[in-house]
Amino acid sequence: MEKAHNFTIYLLILLFASILIISTNLPVLAHKVIIFAWVEGDTVFTESKFSGGREATGAQVLVFDKERTQLLEGKTDSKGEFSFKIPKLTDLRIVLNAAMGHKAEWRISESEIQKAGGILEKKRAGGSSQPIAVGLSKEEIKELIEESLDRKLRPIVRIMTESQSKGPSITEIVGGIGYIFGLMGVAIYFKNRGKKREVNRDN
Amino acid sequence: MHISEGVLSAPVLITGAVLAAAGVAVGLKKMDSDKIPQVAVLSSAFFVASLIHVPIGPSSVHLILNGINGLLLGWLCFPSILVALALQAILFQFGGITVLGVNTVNMALPGVICYYLFSRLVNRERGLISLAAAFTCGFLSVFFSGILVALSLLFTEQSFMSVAQLIIVAHLPIMIIEGIITLFCVAFLHRVKPELLGGIYGKGS
Repeated sequence: MEKAHNFTIYLLILLFASILIISTNLPVLAHKVIIFAWVEGDTVFTESKFSGGREATGAQVLVFDKERTQLLEGKTDSKGEFSFKIPKLTDLRIVLNAAMGHKAEWRISESEIQKAGGILEKKRAGGSSQPIAVGLSKEEIKELIEESLDRKLRPIVRIMTESQSKGPSITEIVGGIGYIFGLMGVAIYFKNRGKKREVNRDN
Repeated sequence: MHISEGVLSAPVLITGAVLAAAGVAVGLKKMDSDKIPQVAVLSSAFFVASLIHVPIGPSSVHLILNGINGLLLGWLCFPSILVALALQAILFQFGGITVLGVNTVNMALPGVICYYLFSRLVNRERGLISLAAAFTCGFLSVFFSGILVALSLLFTEQSFMSVAQLIIVAHLPIMIIEGIITLFCVAFLHRVKPELLGGIYGKGS
């Protein structure tokens, strides 16, 4: 009876806390950082956030190449953004070091850079500024499409990263609590089995 | 305060895992079957608390509740916090599986320390002294956690003092809030169920 009473009180406290969280609609944020990077021409843009939307400002960003040698480092600005010119054509590993042991990384492959860079170079060579002649080669059409797709898709990519950084959902929260209570059941089961055995032995 | 995957070096991770295993072993040994529900509920509270964020300071900080865990559970807060942290790592990607040991020690050890420092004061005394002790318990447990996190990062970051300072300053609001939460919990339990404050083991309520 006593035990049951203890348990009820605890349960009430927990219930109260859960209701508080859900009802006050506090921004349910995850406690981790993410960094997202993309290439535009010869520049890499990065965005760093604590998932849930708060920007990681003034955090250290390190850029490594394939051989894990550091190419450059910088700090995120007040919007959590940081951009740099591509120092070298290689796979890039961009590591975000927010303080207090928070860390995240993002990889950009060589082919991704090549693709973005290639378009730019051809443009510099004077392809697109000229009035377009009647017959466009297959290559040129491809480039034009890729270029405009890049531009049009940028906001969508942004939205995707933002949705990626959403905090845990109610399902996960409730699921976690469920797990704990399941474990409690298992623990009680084994403890009681041990006790029963002792009782049997005594008899 | 969760340290992310890939920040710490192997020796630190292993030390953390060993210490956590020892703590959990002590906790499990002291756990009677009638204490299990209590552990589970506090574990759930710890699990959920990390979702309550306080948007103050340079980083993003959240409630920890290791003070009340330690105060009510003593050594049993080791298994309680381990389970909660494991689930946070799997479901929320907070921290990580390899850093589980280090994170468990960082959160649970302050709880145990606070248990030994304050549970007597909270239990025996009445009124103001008890409440003050409860507040200090909530406050200091987060403070000690900050120190332990800084210690774990000692071999990664250059200076202990600057990291420790950063963590403590960022968590100052949390310390105060946790102090107040612990105070209210204790006040509530004093009125409703004082036996729960009588120390988790040895007495057998």
